[in-house]
Order: sequence, then structure tokens, then C-alpha cells
Amino acid sequence: MATQVFKLPDSLKGDVKYSFCPGCDHGVAVRLVAEVLDELGIRENTILAASIGCSVTLYDFIDVDSLEAPHGRALAEATGIKRAKPDKIVFTYQGDGDFASIGLAESMHAALRGENLTAICINNTTYGMTGGQLGPTTLLGQVTTTSPTGRNVEYYGYPIKIAEHIALCDGTAFSARVSLDTVANIRKAKQAIKKAFEVQIKGLGFGFVEILSTCPTNWKMSPQKAHERVRNEMMPVFKPGIYKDVTLQN
Amino acid sequence: MSTQCLTNKKVLTKGNYAIAQAAVLAGCQCYFGYPITPQSEIGEFMSGKMQELNRGYVSAESELAAINMVIGAVSTGVKAMTSSSSCAVSLMQEALSYATTDELPVVLVSVMRGGPGLGNIYPSQGDYFQVTKGGGNGDYNLIVLAPSTVQECVDLTYKAFYLAQKYRNPTVLLADGLLGQMMEPVEFYDYPYPEIDTSDWALTGAKGRKSRIIRSYGPLAEDRCVFLEKLFQKYKVIEENEVEWEEINTDDADIVLVSFGSTSRNVKTAMKKLREKGIKAGFFRPITLYPFPNKRLAELSRKTKKFVTVEVNMGQMVNDVKLAVNGNCPVELIHKGVGAPPSADEIVLKIEELL
Amino acid sequence: MEKNFIIAGFGGQGVLLAGEVLANAFMLAGKHVTWYPSYGAEMRGGTVNCEIVMSDEEVSEVNKSDTDFVIALNQASFDRFLSKIKKGGWMIANSTLAKEIKTRTDINYLFAPITKLAEEVGNIKMANILALGLLAKASRLVSIDTLNQALDTVIPPHRKNLLPLNMKALKIGYEYDLLPV
Repeated sequence: MATQVFKLPDSLKGDVKYSFCPGCDHGVAVRLVAEVLDELGIRENTILAASIGCSVTLYDFIDVDSLEAPHGRALAEATGIKRAKPDKIVFTYQGDGDFASIGLAESMHAALRGENLTAICINNTTYGMTGGQLGPTTLLGQVTTTSPTGRNVEYYGYPIKIAEHIALCDGTAFSARVSLDTVANIRKAKQAIKKAFEVQIKGLGFGFVEILSTCPTNWKMSPQKAHERVRNEMMPVFKPGIYKDVTLQN
Repeated sequence: MSTQCLTNKKVLTKGNYAIAQAAVLAGCQCYFGYPITPQSEIGEFMSGKMQELNRGYVSAESELAAINMVIGAVSTGVKAMTSSSSCAVSLMQEALSYATTDELPVVLVSVMRGGPGLGNIYPSQGDYFQVTKGGGNGDYNLIVLAPSTVQECVDLTYKAFYLAQKYRNPTVLLADGLLGQMMEPVEFYDYPYPEIDTSDWALTGAKGRKSRIIRSYGPLAEDRCVFLEKLFQKYKVIEENEVEWEEINTDDADIVLVSFGSTSRNVKTAMKKLREKGIKAGFFRPITLYPFPNKRLAELSRKTKKFVTVEVNMGQMVNDVKLAVNGNCPVELIHKGVGAPPSADEIVLKIEELL
Repeated sequence: MEKNFIIAGFGGQGVLLAGEVLANAFMLAGKHVTWYPSYGAEMRGGTVNCEIVMSDEEVSEVNKSDTDFVIALNQASFDRFLSKIKKGGWMIANSTLAKEIKTRTDINYLFAPITKLAEEVGNIKMANILALGLLAKASRLVSIDTLNQALDTVIPPHRKNLLPLNMKALKIGYEYDLLPV
């Protein structure tokens, strides 16, 4: 007798065409979020504050109520939703440009206030949707369409280490950085995402996961090479790990 | 500051507190704001009151955040608001544009101060364009209500919440520093409008129904055309049903004075003084700045000889009056850049010069 | 009938509060009333002021060009608002802080050592309310009973212990001998 070993999570819409580029880690990240919503049984009680960038398309794929925020303002809108409906599970899914550049004030203050929210941030070291420009997380030396000779400190300054900064906020309950380059790391990533929702459900404060991701199109690399870059270039600078977890402190 | 809200007798109340109390009585569930003179009392009042009533309040990190928090809150079907002033309302234009296309009932109280730029804290009417023509991108309209007394600050705050929800369109209460800071006896009363059912669109979690998306993104040109046509059909309905104005002595008027907000009070007295001098003056006050009373002004333009708008700015509403009048008679402007409105005597003098 | 009042002094002399008490008194007496604080360069000149318009009908205008009554609690306020008083109007001035000079002959003057009298009441901060007593007597537009009621309305519950002293200041102002005018 045949057993089903693989299926689409209930929290994903089955009838849509997924539009991420081949090899992009967004697809994996979206699936992990959907699996976590399924496992926690919260899909029907969850509201997404969507962002701008490649991450915006999440609302086309994920089967929860969604509100599209202007660029950078997802955590402000999430705050509004949560304050109006404290019994709902509210999360954002943002890129690094949205979360840590134009929306840094909203992000930091949501964490500082200890809003019971979950934020997922995809860090792919570039502005993906607009064609691969220099972003807040672009690595030193990295060539982008707006750093044609590579990012240097004198001209462009330093990249931001998001998970570390969010961990410093008193209102943060959980802050972690994960990657999706191996099966083992994908499993760890899912655990971190789950934890970031659990701290919200328990009312412990702000839950945050930064996901190191590929952008094969803008990096002009094959998916495999792109994952090697995550491992060899990104992970030494953006070290994966759990930077804060209040459930362990108690 | 008077913190007791439920009373049927008159209470001497500052305009800002009147707006805040009325919002609470209207059932505003969340307030998000950032301080700026001359409207900070609204946030101060709300910080205590919302907590006491177990409603939502956030001292937002910026006006950008505040207005987007309002968008978040109202997307769940509740009433919510922010308040601000001039240069800080500038920061909210992007979100207001989003909210029109999201069709969300955002309520914004804008208490005008001097501009442009940082300007100053004195009263002004310099943001007529900002709210009626929009600083945000794209084709949209905000419903705009302009009170002229503290009592109207109460009445029109109630109405702002109602119209915002009725039409699912951002609605602005446009006051000014004078109204915000002045005290007058006001009567508070229960919210007089029917509660609007938001259950067919609000984001409440996709339980037992399909998930919903509230978004402004419209990737296909044809779909966007359809949406905009629909949006502007709604504006047409608003224009047909919600225009409000006050007019006095316009029937036989040779000259009609047009003014809105706190300035209109002195203009009304100027009209009376002109009548005493034998000049047939009339008074016309748009209460809704959008929808603007175009039709009525057009009708009057066929009977009267001249319109004069009086504004505390460099001449903004005068443009809308000219459009409405459409060349049927001359439209003049009496104005003062910023500050308390010109006195009735000053207005009378200037009108005599025009005649 | 419509009358307007300017109350002016240093920041901290309770000018805005005195105005609020007066405006409340008019409201309690069933009048139309508007109170608004000073707007303009005078805020930088060390003085604060508010204007109260009382009317039997809808208040006709704000930012009036002239006034019926001025209470000047310091010299700067006296200098600033003297010329705004209508012919036959009143200048009620604090002679502790303003010189007794009568440059205009078409108005009524009432000089009283308001600060000194307030000190005698027991609290210099009562000067503002004491001045309202003087105004009540001079204007005959508001009664002491109504002003007492207004004080009770304006003073918040946690400050009610100050009510008797305020009422005393009001009474002393009202009973001040007006003859020196």
C-alpha cells in the first residue's frame, strides 16, 4: 500500500505558480514558514504583514490573511495589527533591505518595545527584485550593480549584522541566524523559525530569524555555486547561531 | 485636562482634548502617534485613556511608523487613528496613498501649523493642498472635514470615523493650531452613527473561509485600470452624498465670502458687519473640503457678482473656488500667510478696497 | 452683548489657568465663551497671555483687534496691551510689578498690589485668582459665586486641598478697595 511521504503544507496555496528564480532560497524559506504554521496549528489565526521586495510575493503563496506594507513598514503594520487584535499571531517576512535599511527604525523599535511579533528576514546581500544593487548587508568586496568595483569601506561603509543587533534589544525574546545551504542547516532553520513563533505565542516578546539566502540570478551563479558562496563568503561574516533565547535564560 | 468622558452637560474643553475624547467615544480602539506642536495633547490624552480602557496605544518611533500602525490596526476591522501636524503629516503621505488603494478606513487628525518646512507653531491653513490634492503618489482622494469650532471638532471626529468606515477611505479631520489650543464649551454625546460591518473584508485570520490579501500592488495594467475606475466610482458616490457646507445670506448677495475652518468665524462676522454697512455680503463655508461643494458654488456664481476667499495661507482653496465658479464671476483672495486669522474689521477693510 | 478679556503676565504666574477659570465661570453662567492662548512674538518677550471672549450669542471672532478688559500681572504685559483696550475699557494692573502711570485718559485703571496681596493670603501663586476677584468687581459681568463654582470645576480632584485658599484669594481681590481708581 502506498504511503504519502511528501505533500504541500496546508499553509501553502496549492493552485498558484511559484515565481521565485530557480535556485533561490526564498522557496525553501517560504516552505519552512508554512510547515511551522501547520505544525503549530496556527494558520487560521495568523496574519502576515508583507513587505516590499522579492519577499512581497509570499502573500501569493502562503494561505493566511495578509496585509501589504509599504517598503520598510511591515513591523509598524504588524504592530498595529497585534495591538488591535492581541490574540492573533502576527508575523512579517522581509528582505534585508526592507528590514535593515529602509525599515531599520521600525524593526529595531518593534524589538525594543518587545512586541509579541515574529519577523523573518531573508539576507541575500543584495536588493534582489530591483536587479542586484548594493544593500545594507552587501559584503565587503562584493560587486553589485551599484558597487561595480566591489564594496569598500571608504566609499560604502560596512554591512550590518542584523541578528546580533536585534539580540541586543531588551524586548527581543529570540534572535537567530540560520542558513539553508545543507539539509542539516535547513532543519536547524526550521527549528529557529518555530522558536520565533513560539515565543510570540507564549507572549515572551519579539521573535526574529535572519536567514542567509542565495540570489543566483543577481549573483550570476549556479544554485550550487551560490550555496558555496553562502558557506564560504557569507557565513564567516554573518555567523549562524542563536544570539538570544530567553527560554534558555530561565 | 478633563479626563471624564461621558457627560451630557457642557464642558469647557481644549480643541485637542475634544478631538481625543470624541475619538474615544467613537470607539477608536487604537491610537498611534508621535508628538508635534500644536497637537501633542491628543497623544497625551490617549496614552492614559487607551490604557485605562484596555485599548491600544503606541508612542511610535516616527510618523511613518504611526500611520502604518494605523493601517495595520484598521485592516483588522477596528477603528483606529493617528494625529499630527503639517511637516509631520508630510511624512505620512506615502501611507495615505497606500491606504486609499488598500481601501482602509484610516483616520488622521491634522492640526495645521505654519509651513513650509519646519515653519513655526502658529496656526495656519497652509495644508489645504496637502490633504485635498495629496502629497502621495497616484490618483486618489482623501475625505477631508474642516471644523470651525471646538464643538465641531467633536461632531466631525465622530463623522470622520463613520465616513472612513462607510467608504473604506482614509479620512482627515483638518483642524489648525488655533482650534487645537482654544477652549470652548462642548457637549459630548454617544457616537451617533451606525456601526459598519467590516466582517466581509477585515483580516481576522482565515478561519472557515478563504484567506484574504489587502494590497496596493496591481501588476497588470488592465486590472489596474478596472480598479481605478471602481475607486473613482466610489468617489463619485461620495461627491454626490457627502458634501457639507454652511451658507448665510447668499440669496441676495452681491459678494460671497468663502472661508473654512477657524478663519471662517471672523469671516462670518465680517459678513454681518458689511451687511450693517449696506453691502450685500453672503457667507459660504465648506465643511467637507473633499468632497468640495462645487455644485452649490457654481449655482451661486450665476446669481452673485463676486466671490472672495479668505484664507490663512498664500491662497489655496481659492483655486477650487475658481474651478467651481468656472469664470462666471471674479474670484478674489484675501489672505495672511500664517498666524491667527485676520480680524473681522481687517477683512471688512480689505473687502471695501476690493469693491 | 459681547465682551473680551486679556489676561497677561510672566510664564508661571498662572495666566492661562486664570483664563480657564474665567471662561468656565461664563460657561456656568450660560454664556457663549472662547478661550485661547497667546500666539505671536509676545511669547518670546517673557509674557504669556490668553484671551477670553464672552457673548450672549455665538462668539463672533477670535484674535480680536481690541479688548474690553486687560489684567496685566507684570510691566511687559501692561506696556503691550494698554493700546488694545477699547475706549471706556479697563486696565487692571499689578502695581507690585508695574508702574502706576496713566498715559491714556479714555480708559479706567485699577492698580492693586496683586503679588503683595497674594503673599498676604499665604501663597504668591494665588495672584492670578486674586486678580479675577478684582476683575469681577470692576466688570460686574461675573459673580464671585460663579467664579467659586468655576474654581471647583477647574481644580482637579487631587488638588482640591488648594480650593479654600483660592476662594480666599478671590474674595480678597473682590473686596479690595476700588476707590484709588
